[in-house]
Parts: sequence; structure tokens; C-alpha cells
Amino acid sequence: MLSETVDPARPATAATGQEQEARARVAELEARFGDPYDPANPMGQHQLLAADEAGEISAAGEAVLDGLNLNADFVPRALGGRLDRLDTLVRVMRQVFRRDVTLGLGYGATTFMAAVNVWTTGDAGQQRRLAEVLLANRKAAVAYHELAHGNDFVRNEFAATPDGAGGFRLNGSKQVINNAGRADVLTLFSRTSDAPGSRSHSVLMVERELLDQARVEVLPRYSSVGVRGCHLAGLSFTDCPVPGSALVGELGQGVELALRSFQMTRSAVPGMAMGAADTALRTVVRFALGRQLYKRSVMDIPHARETLSAAFLDLLISDSLSLTATRAVHLLPEETSVYASAVKYLVPRMLNDAMHDLSIVLGARFYVREGEFGVFQKHVRDLPVLSLGHAGSAACQATIIPQLPRLARRAWFSGDPAPDTLFRPGDDLPELPFGRLTLASGRDGLSASLVAAVDQLPSGTPVELSVHGAALRFMDELRQLQEDALSLSPQDRTALASPASFALADRYAVLLAAASVIGVWRQARGGEDSFLADPSWAAAALHRLGRRLGMRQPDLPDGCEERVREEVLRRFHDRRSYDLYDSPLAG
Amino acid sequence: MTTEIHDLPAESAVHTSESLTVWLVDRIAVYLRRSPGEIDPTVPLAEYGLDSVAALSLCGDVEEDFDLVLEPTVAWDYPTVEALAAHLLEDLAGEVGRR
Ligand SMILES: Cc1cc2nc3c(=O)[nH]c(=O)nc-3n(C[C@H](O)[C@H](O)[C@H](O)COP(=O)(O)OP(=O)(O)OC[C@H]3O[C@@H](n4cnc5c(N)ncnc54)[C@H](O)[C@@H]3O)c2cc1C
Repeated sequence: MLSETVDPARPATAATGQEQEARARVAELEARFGDPYDPANPMGQHQLLAADEAGEISAAGEAVLDGLNLNADFVPRALGGRLDRLDTLVRVMRQVFRRDVTLGLGYGATTFMAAVNVWTTGDAGQQRRLAEVLLANRKAAVAYHELAHGNDFVRNEFAATPDGAGGFRLNGSKQVINNAGRADVLTLFSRTSDAPGSRSHSVLMVERELLDQARVEVLPRYSSVGVRGCHLAGLSFTDCPVPGSALVGELGQGVELALRSFQMTRSAVPGMAMGAADTALRTVVRFALGRQLYKRSVMDIPHARETLSAAFLDLLISDSLSLTATRAVHLLPEETSVYASAVKYLVPRMLNDAMHDLSIVLGARFYVREGEFGVFQKHVRDLPVLSLGHAGSAACQATIIPQLPRLARRAWFSGDPAPDTLFRPGDDLPELPFGRLTLASGRDGLSASLVAAVDQLPSGTPVELSVHGAALRFMDELRQLQEDALSLSPQDRTALASPASFALADRYAVLLAAASVIGVWRQARGGEDSFLADPSWAAAALHRLGRRLGMRQPDLPDGCEERVREEVLRRFHDRRSYDLYDSPLAG
Repeated sequence: MTTEIHDLPAESAVHTSESLTVWLVDRIAVYLRRSPGEIDPTVPLAEYGLDSVAALSLCGDVEEDFDLVLEPTVAWDYPTVEALAAHLLEDLAGEVGRR
């Protein structure tokens, strides 16, 4: 199947080359993952649920992923892997999260989070070595956080003390680290100076087997509410020597490196995890179609039906924001800092809310841990890890807050709109510009696209008019946001900011989501995907976002909701994914 | 709680290390919810609990009031009021030179 699409020589028409390759890889995974309802399938619900009950990551599932050499998707192409686009990586990993968040995180995303630091500023030798380890199906762990300091990692204490001879001595512990006990490579966020502040930490890349084993201890495993199979443990080092060559980037650049690498992982991981919410929606649609009450199916109950459509819309909104943020890493790397935080803040929130609403339709079965619908409660327990791990929601808002006044002053209503290709999932992208990510930006092409759209959107049909009206309301919202951001007092731009500042960050994230939806729809118009080209989904999605902000808005025109509802059913029956890609699924 | 911020317009003829120090101390005091008298210009700001986010905000404030464009990490690299004031003075002199 791959041979017809993967051409190592990359033909001149590379525009379709990347897209063909992405589709082929997704299809390859899906073919290997097989029927989710087959009890004998290691990547099916039955066995993955059993592994979760046992508190283990599925060994058979990991073997399937090894067989696919999934790690290659985390390794840049120049180093022998398949990674060339962040949005493609999201798409590929979504297939794994669709089956099991534990595998998605414990096999996949954790290794990617560790590796990104090395791709961003590691030297050639470190990059080559890490690529070699990963391509051999071995894992990397990202040991950043310490329980004592949480999101306040600038105060982390785990020390790599320069030994005077070019090397370091490691002392201290890290806790709740995924794969702490079994990863071959560890990226360690370590204090390299006693001085307070943001220049006192560095990132080290060490190989476990090269360490003095008597000086490293794996601490007992934590048991968790969700992702129960993930190996979350601690690591403790006692005066453990490591060579100077372990240093990733420059001494003292750890905080900066973390904040830059996090822009890639924060943009990408929420979109990966969308796969779990897709499965949850599919599960509830299956239930609603089969369950008979009051002489009709649950699907015929308007409230239930609307809940399912709303969940689908949330997935489309999340995917639109995820798409623009991941593509922005390639196209607008100077602007990515806010977009990445907006994704990491808003997408997990929307997905968790959607899961909650879906659980109401599933009713009592939501509480049952086995059988046909047992997978649902597992995804409900697993998904919140998304907003807890790797920068909490509030910490993401806190990253956005200080940038708002700057954007209000310099960017909004004056900057250039993002290029159209930002919103086009099928378009090629240039290489990942690891070196160009910056910590704060004075530009915002995504919001500028929203403003530009107001003058360019069609307004021929009632549904198009509805989209246009929503675009106008969101533009007013941007104006209001600008005013509010400019009047933020200095105290309200720090971590101790008032709740009102956090509300501003929330409104801004919703606005970016609206801008993404409008952009994706505009670029899909006239395209081959007739559902995405139809304004109905965009109108309904914007309506939902408007409701989130408490906007006063007119009702949706007739037919809009119907169109979305039909699509929910079509994709269920045709086994297609609930996202922007409408990918064929095995089940 | 409101603390008055001394206004120091960008165009005001001369910035001195003293005027910049006063401006920085006032602004940082607001961030930290302390009185300006408590801020010692030679003590690293992180020691007072100024987090990395506030350090980014401070950079934005400087840009706004002095019409400069700075690296967002400037307050990490010049971690005391004294060091920051010296750095700003240099930058401002560069700006004037360019005008
Ligand atoms: C399943 C799982 C796997 C994990 N795997 C790893 C791993 O592999 N590697 C790793 O390094 N870590 C890992 N962690 C640790 C985790 O990522 C960190 O602990 C987390 O990001 C910090 O969160 P905290 O809950 O400790 O938050 P804290 O910082 O203690 O925050 C508590 C609360 O304080 C408030 N708060 C914190 N900061 C701010 C702010 N700036 N502004 C406003 N309010 C704020 C928020 O309300 C927040 O929820 C994992 C955690 C889990 C649950």
C-alpha cells in the first residue's frame, strides 16, 4: 500500500507528496490496528481495557507500534525518520490515541516531548545518537517537573553541578515521570547554578546504561486515576557523574529551551489526544442508535441528538485550532508562543466538557467498566491527563496574559493576516524551524485573518450570512479585548494576576479558535470535501464558540444543525474520523 | 492597592542611570506588591519572587514607555535593577545615536 505513494526521490509536485504520504501513513496504522471490536485484537477495545484494568501498558499493543516503527514519526527526516510536519504527526498520533491514551502518551507523546529538546538545540552528535536510539524502538523520558515546584519549574532543585573538569554531578530527584524506569534516554531539566532566576537551569541528555547504576535509583511507581498503564515513577540520583557532552544547548539556557520546545509540544499534543474524544463520540452514537426508549431510539430524542452534534462541533473547532497552531510553528514561528498556549489551554477544556456532556447521553452505562461501552469511562478518566500534564491550564493562561497588552498595542487591527496556507490541511509545509521559535511575539496573523475575513467573506445565502455575522461579532470581541488588555494594571500581568486577566486569556483563546474555524472554512470552499466546503459547520461551530463567550447572537438558519447531524451519522456508518480529515477508519 | 508610577516620557531629554533605576524600582514594586523602598537595586529580582512571566511583562512595559524593542529575556540576563538600568541606558543611547 505504501509503495504507490512513498517516493523517496520526492517528485517535483511535492505539494501532493506530503499529503499523500500522510494519508498513507495514517492508513497503514489503521490497517494494522484493525477492528476495534474484535476481542482477539491487541489494538481492540477489549484487550486495551483489560490492560488498563491490570494497570499495565499493553505489551501486545506496544509490539504493534514497534512493528510500525512509530518512533520514526518523532525523528526529523534529515536524521532518518519521518518527521517533517507537526500537523502530520498530530494526525498519525491521533490514530493511536483513538485506541488508547496510555499507548498514545506512554509509548508516544512522552518520547516526542523529550526528543524535541534535542532537535531544538542539541548538537549534531546528540541528535544523531537520539535518532539512532529512537529508530531502534527505544524510549526517551522527559524529566522536567518536580512535585515540590509544579508549574513553577524555574525553582526546580534537581542539580547538575559542574564538576570543574567539564562534566556534571547529578543530585536530587524527579517525580511522576513517564517511563522513568524504562526509558533508555533521559532528558533532565537540571539546576546548574545556585543563583535564582531563569538562567540557572540547563537540559542534559543522558543514556541510562552509561550511568553509574549504583548512583541512580528508580523510585516506586505512582498509581493514577487515568492512563493507569503508564509507568509513572521517580528518579533519584546521588552524586552521579555525567560527561560535559550531556549538555543540550548552552549552560543556563534550560528555561528558554523548555519554553521554546514546549511551543511545539503544546501545539501538538492536544490535537493528538482528540482521537480519544472521537472514540468517545463514536461510542455514544453507537449507543444512541441502538438503545430503544419510549418506542424510539435515543438518537431520536432531540436533546441527545443535539449533544452528539455539539461534541462533533467541538472536535472540529479543536482540530481547526490545532491545525493552525501546528502549521504556525512552520509558517509563523515568531508568533507561536501564544497560539501554543491557547491550544494547550482551550482544546483539553473543550474535549473534557464534551466528554462530560456525552456521558449524560450514555447514562448509567457511563459507569460500567466493561463490555461494549466500557471504553468510554476509560477515555473519561484518561483525557484529563491532557490538561494536567505538561503545563496546567492556568499556567498556559499565565503565559498568554503578559503578551496581551503587547499584542493589543502592536498587533491587533494593524498586522498582516496569516497566509492562506496556514488553514489548508493538504498544503505542503517548509521544514520545522527549530531555531526560530521565540518566547514572546508582537504579531498575531491569526487574529488579523479574522479581521481581514470580515471584508472578504461571502454573504449570499442565509448560512453564509450567519458566518459573516459571527465574524463581525468576533471582530468586535477583539476590539473589546484590545481595550481590556490595554487597561490591565501591571499587577494583573503576572502569575498573581486577578481572575479577570485569566478571563481575558480565555476570551482570546476562544477568539483564536473562531479565527481558525473561519480560516479553515474559507480555504475549504470549492474544495473536494463537500462537508468542509459547506458553511453549515462553520456557522454552527461559531455559534457554539459565541455561546461559550456569552455572546448575544441570532439563532442559526434552518438546515445548519440538520447538516451537522447528518454528518455525524454518515461518518458513523461509513466509519470516517470525526475531525477535519474525514479519514477512513477500521471501525 | 495602587502605587503611583512615575511617568517618564520616551522623549524626555536625558535618561540617567538614576532615573531608570527609579522607574524600574517603582514598576517592579508594583509587580511584587511591595513598597519601592524594599527593592534593593543590587539584589536579583528572582530573589524577591519576581517570576519569569513577570519578567516578560516588565520587558513589555519598558518597550511601551521607552519606545524600545527588547529581547523578551532581557530581565533574565540582567537580573538586578542595577544591571537592567545599565543595559537600558546603553540601549537608549544606541537609539538616540540612530536618530
Ligand atoms: C499522568 C502524568 C504524567 C506526567 N508525566 C510527566 C513527565 O513525563 N515528565 C514531567 O516532567 N512531568 C510529568 N508530569 C508532571 C506534571 O506535568 C507536572 O506536575 C505539572 O505540569 C505541574 O502541575 P502541578 O499540578 O504540579 O501544578 P502546580 O504548579 O502545583 O499547580 C497547582 C495549581 O496552581 C495554580 N497555578 C500554577 N501555576 C500557575 C500560574 N502560573 N498561574 C496561575 N495559576 C497557577 C493552578 O490552579 C494549578 O492547577 C506528569 C503528570 C501526570 C499527572
